[in-house]
Amino acid sequence: MKIKMTINGKQIELNISSKERLLDILRENLGLIGTKESCGKGECGACTVLLDGRRVNSCLIPALQLEGSNVVTVEGLEKWKSFKSIERAYIENGAVQCGFCISGFVMSTAALLNECSPPVCLDEIKQALGGNLCRCTGYTKILQAVQELTNQKEIIQQIQEDWRDEFGSK
Amino acid sequence: MSLVQNNKEIIYRPNTINELEQIINSTKEKLTFVAGATDLMVQQDKWKSANNLVDLKSVKEISEKIEARTDGVLIGAAVPMSDLMVDATIKEKFLILVDACRQIGSVQIQNRATLGGNIANASPAGDSLPVLNVVNADIWIGPQNNGEFEKLKVDQLMTGPGETRLNNNCYISYIFIPFPKQENLFWYFRKVGQRQALAISKLSLAVLGWKNGKKIEEIRISAGSVSPIVRRASKTEEILNARILDKELIEKARKSIEEEVTPITDIRSNAEYRKRICGELLREALYNQLSFIERQ
Repeated sequence: MKIKMTINGKQIELNISSKERLLDILRENLGLIGTKESCGKGECGACTVLLDGRRVNSCLIPALQLEGSNVVTVEGLEKWKSFKSIERAYIENGAVQCGFCISGFVMSTAALLNECSPPVCLDEIKQALGGNLCRCTGYTKILQAVQELTNQKEIIQQIQEDWRDEFGSK
Repeated sequence: MSLVQNNKEIIYRPNTINELEQIINSTKEKLTFVAGATDLMVQQDKWKSANNLVDLKSVKEISEKIEARTDGVLIGAAVPMSDLMVDATIKEKFLILVDACRQIGSVQIQNRATLGGNIANASPAGDSLPVLNVVNADIWIGPQNNGEFEKLKVDQLMTGPGETRLNNNCYISYIFIPFPKQENLFWYFRKVGQRQALAISKLSLAVLGWKNGKKIEEIRISAGSVSPIVRRASKTEEILNARILDKELIEKARKSIEEEVTPITDIRSNAEYRKRICGELLREALYNQLSFIERQ
């Protein structure tokens, strides 16, 4: 089937099978390999992307539901003004080991920062990141990095601004 | 409506319920309805062999509507759970449903998954099902007959694990939940799993009831993952209804529900543990109320 959609700010038209997973469209058709596949059944969050302003597992989105949608992957997020702050927090806290899960975590972090109103407690962060699994870090440093981000009002404001620019206000 | 046909696959994307029902009424092929797809796409055989797909997300009447009515709330079957969780009416009247939705999968799943999908998938472990039972939800089923949807309760619709009465291209359009009397209302929901997020339940328990002083006026109890069909524990409810709540009664209810449920042993847990913990959860739910009464 033919679909028109926006990926990382670019309008594209694809001719693909209707049951194709968004994850495969990104990685195989478009070469956007920052989005990772791990479990392939919605249990690990490695393939998390933003779809029309919500984070979803791209392994569970069929092409037939993508017409007219707006998708942001980690490659798109990289262009956001707020991305550097997220990246820095992860690096400075040593939150990245093998890195396979990290693009998923970064997407969920961006979504949490967009939705949260400080002060944000640790439980709230855990709930927000519950859909992402990491087998290296034991989570402590990832949680540290995200908590540090939620304590900085300017970063949250910047994320919210970037989010509105991308998806409009709802 | 958009329609795509290639090789042996047909994809329907109706925009309205009318268009949807026209499709149903004009085909003899078996249709597969796609809502959030979070359960459907992981069932590889079912997903791969489905050749006639109907997208329910494209029907806005079903995928976006949450309507507060005078006597209850009408929820589109393909509305994502994250929309339910922030809806003002649902937050005010059905915190138990918000609580259950929050414990389903993860935020990524809640952003896609739907009540209609949870019901149609008919897993005994479906986390919203015990809650829909205790709030006495009506499941509206199309296509309409003389402009009327057929209405069934969850335990009438479900006929076994993964099996329902949704044959002959029937689909779920809405879930209607009547407002419960708010006065002296209490509720309890707890899911027990290997971890909090992204774990299928070992078991879950939903309780909704009304107190009158020290008395349980009425109670509704439903447990998940402990029987082939998620239904109310009516024998145990009988023991509690219109009785003064005390430790003795709680013990009686705990024993009763352990006998009433019929769990199996599978990869997630074993029958004995499920029975035992089901009793313990009910005890916790009732002790919460007892300590509340004693404090007054």
